Amino acid sequence: MLVAGVAVPLVSFLLLALFGARLGKPASGWVATAAIATSCVLATIVLYQWHFAGVRPEPHVFTWANLGTIPLKVGVNLDSLTVIMFFMVTFIATWIHVFSIGYMAGHSDEVDGESKYHRFFAYLGLFCFSMLGLVIASSLLFLFIFWELVGLCSYLLIGYYFDKKSASNAAMKAFITNRVGDFGFIIGLGMVVLFLGDLTLDGAAKALRVQYAENGTLFAHSFLGLSLATWMGMLLFCGAIGKSAQFPLHVWLPDAMEGPTPVSALIHAATMVAAGVYLVARIFVLLTPEAQTFIAIIGCITLALAALIAIVQTDIKRVLAYSTISQLGYMILGMGLGAWIGALFHLLTHAFFKALMFLGSGQVIEGCHHEQDMRKMGGLRHKMPVTCWTFFIGVLAIAGAGIPMTQIGLGGFFSKDEILAVGWHRAYGQGEVDAAHEMEHAAAAMPGPWAQAQGAGHGAVTASDTPAGHGHEAAAGEHGEGHKVTPAWPAHRPGHWLLFLVPVVIAYVTPFYMMRAWWLTFMGKPRDEHVYHHAHESKLMYVPLIVLAVGTLFSSYFLFRPMVAEAVSEIGLQQALVASYDGGHHAEAGLAIDHDTHKYLSMIVGGAFVVGFLVAIAIYWNGLGLAERLARTFQPVHTLLVRKFYFDELYGAAFVGGVLVIKRLLYAFDKYIVDGIVNLSAAVTERLSRFAGNVLDARGVDGAVNGVGKLALELGGVVRTPQDGRIRNYILFALCGAGVVLLVVVRAWAS
Amino acid sequence: MLTIGLTHYLILAAFMFCCGLYVMTIKRNAVGILIGVELILNAASLNLVAFSRYKTGLLDGQIVALFVIVLAAAEAAIAIAIFVNYYNNLATIDVDRGDSLNG
Repeated sequence: MLVAGVAVPLVSFLLLALFGARLGKPASGWVATAAIATSCVLATIVLYQWHFAGVRPEPHVFTWANLGTIPLKVGVNLDSLTVIMFFMVTFIATWIHVFSIGYMAGHSDEVDGESKYHRFFAYLGLFCFSMLGLVIASSLLFLFIFWELVGLCSYLLIGYYFDKKSASNAAMKAFITNRVGDFGFIIGLGMVVLFLGDLTLDGAAKALRVQYAENGTLFAHSFLGLSLATWMGMLLFCGAIGKSAQFPLHVWLPDAMEGPTPVSALIHAATMVAAGVYLVARIFVLLTPEAQTFIAIIGCITLALAALIAIVQTDIKRVLAYSTISQLGYMILGMGLGAWIGALFHLLTHAFFKALMFLGSGQVIEGCHHEQDMRKMGGLRHKMPVTCWTFFIGVLAIAGAGIPMTQIGLGGFFSKDEILAVGWHRAYGQGEVDAAHEMEHAAAAMPGPWAQAQGAGHGAVTASDTPAGHGHEAAAGEHGEGHKVTPAWPAHRPGHWLLFLVPVVIAYVTPFYMMRAWWLTFMGKPRDEHVYHHAHESKLMYVPLIVLAVGTLFSSYFLFRPMVAEAVSEIGLQQALVASYDGGHHAEAGLAIDHDTHKYLSMIVGGAFVVGFLVAIAIYWNGLGLAERLARTFQPVHTLLVRKFYFDELYGAAFVGGVLVIKRLLYAFDKYIVDGIVNLSAAVTERLSRFAGNVLDARGVDGAVNGVGKLALELGGVVRTPQDGRIRNYILFALCGAGVVLLVVVRAWAS
Repeated sequence: MLTIGLTHYLILAAFMFCCGLYVMTIKRNAVGILIGVELILNAASLNLVAFSRYKTGLLDGQIVALFVIVLAAAEAAIAIAIFVNYYNNLATIDVDRGDSLNG
């Protein structure tokens, strides 16, 4: 059924690609919407059957081709994570399609007298197809293929207004930056093929465990101090760095906002960029502790940088873009810390509220006649009440609003907390929390790290059986009997305090910049009469907003988290090389996360959104005046942030500049050396040909030819003398010949 | 009474051959040359028949002679066709006048 769900958008794409121009303006949009809505219905049915009726269809795997001795297996991977991701993608995509019809209606989209309206929806269909394919692919190879397809769609859609220079540049930037990451990814894939010999996720994970147990190539050899297994994990993660816009490849995402706003919402906020996180979730079973630390550090850097840059952005879409990068950083950090559930949970909640906010900004931009500068907005709440309040829900959600110490709160409140909670444990684990509880966590953290399959011996179950006082060594020892055990992922990691502290600080920054954006746009007094005057809402566009807002409010904790938690045991994370930190524990303990850790965190972070909001409101209460004074006071910092830490300039100098220098060198080489050789050879050829023409040809060749002719002529003159055409002469010759023959014969006869 | 034997035939055939050769050599009229060719052919045929009659006693010589007669007829037809064309072009059948190919 999910396969059918994948295929429907493809059909829509083909239809629109072939007949879109004839379908015309609104019709092609509705075709695409109908297709994705069908997928969404299918996804809902599957979700219902899976989650409530407990139906578990058999996975379907077959061999596509053989690569030498390695079978390339193709199949559909079905577990809770797939189902919930599939549902999320189709659901959001459906409403974004609806929104797009309204959004694109008001755009002039003629290029060379031909409407490209249908192209937009064709691309969206192709994107949905590839994204859904990516979600359900069970082998890394197919994951990679769909991965590249979504990259292509992203390129096409960013460059939708390709007649605009900045848009086509942004598209190229996105594509090229992604190539850098994908290069690492494909090397990683090569290592998987070479060392593990199996591209399916399960097979590769199994092979890796065997390798570890036997101390195989991947672990026995190291490069630059890290084992090959670690390198493999890091290289695979490179793909996620590119796609999820992580440091240092984050530069493309803000520029990608050149695309139409629905595209930003669907691809560059909710789904495609999250594919990187999804990839890490899938390859989690292949990651070594070192690789995880690497991932966590990358995520931590990203979330801090992006959040700081977001503070000073004035373009409403760019604020959202940087906040997306920052939130992706949270997810990646969560993955790196082992907060598998938390990261995916955050992915799902983020998809909803970020799509919501992007669509809201699309509404604003559309209503204000393509004005994206927040400094010119303000007071729009009167003109766009629905947009204003749905956007506010999004802001609350991303800020992690909730009431501390309770179960009441929005998605971001739980999901971000969950990541931070794990970070807390990593950093301060044993000291702060009461010993018995921590024990449980420690053991849960490594339900037999590097352990072979222990049947139902889940970490948490084992942990509760482990007598207190033995610590995690006991648990590890119990599982690791018979082969070498490395305490792979000790719960307590003093060096990790930064990985906890930075996200916590940024958790205060997030509400600030989101509130700033909201306040500047909707609150206060109108700052530009012209813009304000034009502002309006359209119905086709605010219905999706309301739907997504409701989704943001209610879906997350009841649906997403249990599904993700369920996926943990299905994928067998407990048996993974490195168990996810919260994996075993939460799979068993269910919602029991908010114990002590959560209590502390609630106090530290739970109020963050209030603080952030208040600061933002205080600064922007009276428009931009105070903000500008602050900017002047902290001039260097402000400039640094406005310049986005000079990444674009740095890359411009290092890579683009480097390429230009190489270009110039090559040009010089070309001009002086290659051209020199060519010119020299041309001159030599010319001389030679002149010599050949005048001397060799005229005297030698012509002479020979003419000589032969003359010879033939003279010979002919000699020979033709007897051929005078007189028959009696011929007969005379014949007679003479016959006489000679007769003479010879008679003489021979006689003797 | 003198019996006529092989020798007489051969002498007659040689005489006919020489006559044909002579005619071919001195005649300028194309039809005359054709008649010379016929004389030579008939001389050869006479030889064949005579040898067949007196030496082998079989009929192969006579059969070959029949072939020669048929071929001579065909040859005469072609030759006369050529002469007609010759006459159309040059208004004569004097073979010495057909020297336009001679540079």
